[in-house]
Amino acid sequence: MRKQLPNPYIPMLTEVVSITSENKVNDIKTIELKFKKEEDYKNFAYIPGQFAEISLIGKGECPIGIASSPTEEGTIKFTIKKMGTVTSGFHNCEVGDTVGIRGPCGNGWPMEDMKGKNIVVIGGGFAFSTLRSLVLYVLDEKYRKDYKDITVIYGNRDSGEVLYQDVLEEWDKRDDINVVLTIDREEEGWTRKVGFVAAIVKEVAPSPENAVAIICGPPIMIRTAVAELVELGWKDEQILNSLEMRMKCGIGKCGRCNIGNKFVCVDGPVFSLAELKKMPNEY
Amino acid sequence: MEQKILQKDQIAKLYIELSEEYNIYAPVKEKGNIVFKKISNSDQIELDYLNSKIPPKEVLFPQMEVLFEYKLDGKDVEIIDRQDLDEKILLFGVRPCDAYSFELVGNFFKAHGNWEDEIYLKKKENTTIIGMGCNSPRTTCFCTSVGGHPFQKDYIDLFLTDLGDKYLVEGISDKGKEIMQKLSWLSDAKEADVKKSEELAKQAEESFTTKFNFDLVTKVLGENFENPVWEEISESCIGCGSCTFLCPTCTCFDVIEENDKYNNRGRRIRIWDTCQSCLYTLETSGHNPRPDKIQRCRNRIMHKFSYYPENYNCLGCVGCGRCIQACPVNNELRIIIDKILEIEKEEDEKAVA
Ligand SMILES: Cc1cc2nc3c(=O)[nH]c(=O)nc-3n(C[C@H](O)[C@H](O)[C@H](O)COP(=O)(O)OP(=O)(O)OC[C@H]3O[C@@H](n4cnc5c(N)ncnc54)[C@H](O)[C@@H]3O)c2cc1C
Ligand code: SF4
Ligand code: SF4
Ligand code: FES
Repeated sequence: MRKQLPNPYIPMLTEVVSITSENKVNDIKTIELKFKKEEDYKNFAYIPGQFAEISLIGKGECPIGIASSPTEEGTIKFTIKKMGTVTSGFHNCEVGDTVGIRGPCGNGWPMEDMKGKNIVVIGGGFAFSTLRSLVLYVLDEKYRKDYKDITVIYGNRDSGEVLYQDVLEEWDKRDDINVVLTIDREEEGWTRKVGFVAAIVKEVAPSPENAVAIICGPPIMIRTAVAELVELGWKDEQILNSLEMRMKCGIGKCGRCNIGNKFVCVDGPVFSLAELKKMPNEY
Repeated sequence: MEQKILQKDQIAKLYIELSEEYNIYAPVKEKGNIVFKKISNSDQIELDYLNSKIPPKEVLFPQMEVLFEYKLDGKDVEIIDRQDLDEKILLFGVRPCDAYSFELVGNFFKAHGNWEDEIYLKKKENTTIIGMGCNSPRTTCFCTSVGGHPFQKDYIDLFLTDLGDKYLVEGISDKGKEIMQKLSWLSDAKEADVKKSEELAKQAEESFTTKFNFDLVTKVLGENFENPVWEEISESCIGCGSCTFLCPTCTCFDVIEENDKYNNRGRRIRIWDTCQSCLYTLETSGHNPRPDKIQRCRNRIMHKFSYYPENYNCLGCVGCGRCIQACPVNNELRIIIDKILEIEKEEDEKAVA
C-alpha cells in the first residue's frame, strides 16, 4: 500500500502579527506571520531563497519569496508589492487576520555549496526580500564562520524605495560585511553611492576568486550587472539568479511554470547562469 | 491465465453485482457524444464506441474539482478537507490507451519535489478498470507508435475482448482476478474463443494506418526549439484548447476560489486549464513568457514529445487521436509530426548535397 499523504493544497493557518510599510509610496508591505499550530511551524523548515504559496482564504493564493531568515525564530515574513487581487488583499490586511500558507516551495539559495566562499549579493528594487533572508542567515553567529567575505550591493530608484532600513542599519554597524547602497539619481541628504547597480558593480569590482554572486532584480539590472561580472572574469556557474513565472500550485502539478522540461516552482526558482543558458529562452 | 465468457445480455447482471461495492462509471451517450458518467442502470452503458469524446480522465480529474472547502468567521477560518476520496470507483469499458493514460498521469502527480497530488492518487488507488480491446482502431489512432497496443492489458484490471455476441474475460491484476472470482456465474471460455481473441488482436494491430517514429521525433525536437517550423505549425491555430482539454494526459489546471458570500463559506477549486491560452502564463506585471501562439503550440508538442521523454523516459502521449479529431481547424498532430520530421529530412538532404 502507498503511504497516505495529506492533501497538498490545504494551507496551514497563520495569524498576522505585524505589518510594516516598506516604502514612501506605500505599495510594498512586509507582513509577519505566526503559525497557529506550533507543529506546523516546526514542519515549515526553510532555507533562504525559498518561497511559499500564501493565501487569503476567500480571495486566493499567490507565490511570495520568504523574506525572513530561518534564524529569526518564531515568525516568518513576506514582503509584498501591491499588484492584483491577492496582493492588494494582503495590503488591506490587519493584525489578527488569518493567512493560509503552503510550503516551503522551491530549491532556495545553495547555502551548503556556498560554504567557505565569498558571497556577493546584488539586488535591485523590491526583489531584495530573499536576499534579506540570505544575508541575515549568513550573518547569524551560528553560520557566520561558514562563509567568508560578504558584500552587498543594493540599488534603488530613490531613497524612498530602500527596503528594510532597520536591518540595513544593523549591517552598517558590523565590520564583517560590506554594504554598498546606491540610488539612480542624486538626492539631497543621500550620502551613499549614486548610479545604476551595474556601474557600482564595476566600481566595487568584486573578485571572482572563490566567490558566488547572487543577483535579484529587474531584468535590465540583471543583464547589465551580469555583463560587468563577466567582464571581471566571473564564470556562469558562479552567478545565481532567482526566476519568476506565473504560478498556481507551487508544487509541480498545475503545469504553468515550466521553462523547457524544468518546473520553476520545484526545480527553481534559483538557477545558475550556466543552467539558464542550457534552458530555452522562454521566461 | 483463467479466461471466462460474459454474454452481452449478462452485462445487467454484472452491473447489479458490482454496483454493490463500486460506483460504476461507464461510457454513455450524451448529446450525441460518448462520455464516461456514473451510471445508475446498465441500460445506459454504450459499448459500441471506439473512443469517447471526453476521455475517462474526467472521472479521476474532473473539469472542476474541489481542493477543500472553508468557512469564514470574522478573522477565523475553518478549512474542511475532502471527505469523499474513499469512493470505490469502477471504470467500465475503458480503452487500452486511456487505461495507460492513468498510469502516466499518476506518475506525473507523484513526481517533482516533496508533494504528491494526494487527491488524484487516492482516487486512482481506489479505482478498478474493466477495459476492452479495440477490434477496429480508428484511422486517427496511433497507440502502436507510442508503445501501446489495441489489446494492451498492462494497465487494465479485468480485460474484455468483444467476440460478437459475448466477451472473453481475463483477470489481469489481482483486483481483476478477484472480480473474476466474484462473478462465479461466468462460463468457461473455450479454446476457440481464446483463439479468436488472439486473431482479433493481430488483425487490429495490422490495421493501423498511422505510424510514427517517435524516437526520431524526440531527437529532432531536442535540437529544434528554435526553428521556423513552429511558425508554420501554429499558423492556423485559434488557441481554443480543445487539443489539450480532450487529451487524456493533459493535466494543467487553474486554481480559483468560489465564494458563497451570504453564508460566509466557499471552496477552493481547480479547473482544467490549457497551455494554449495566453492567460496561462501571463504575469500580473504584464510580462508573458509565451505571448504568442508560436510559443504556445511549441510548448504542447515539446511537452509531450521532448520534455516528457527527458523527465520520465516515456512519451507524454498515448496515441488516442482525440486531438486529431477535435481540432476545429485541422491543425492536427499527424501533420505537425510530419512537419517536424521534414526538418530532419531537409537536413539529411543538405548533408548529401
Ligand atoms: C517564486 C516567486 C517569488 C515571488 N516573490 C514575490 C515577493 O517576494 N513579493 C512580491 O510582491 N511578489 C512576489 N512574486 C510575484 C507575485 O507572486 C505576483 O505579484 C502575484 O502572484 C500577483 O498576484 P495577484 O493576485 O495580486 O495578481 P492577479 O493578477 O490578480 O492574480 C493572478 C494570479 O496569477 C498568479 N500570478 C500572477 N502573476 C504572477 C507572477 N509574477 N508570479 C507568480 N504568479 C503570478 C497568481 O496565482 C495570482 O494570484 C513572486 C513570484 C514568484 C513566482
Ligand atoms: S496528444 Fe493527442 S493523441 Fe496523444 S494522448 Fe493527447 S489527445 Fe491523444
Ligand atoms: S485544437 Fe487546434 S486550434 Fe485548438 S488549440 Fe489545439 S491546435 Fe489550436
Ligand atoms: S506552479 Fe504549478 S507547476 Fe509550478
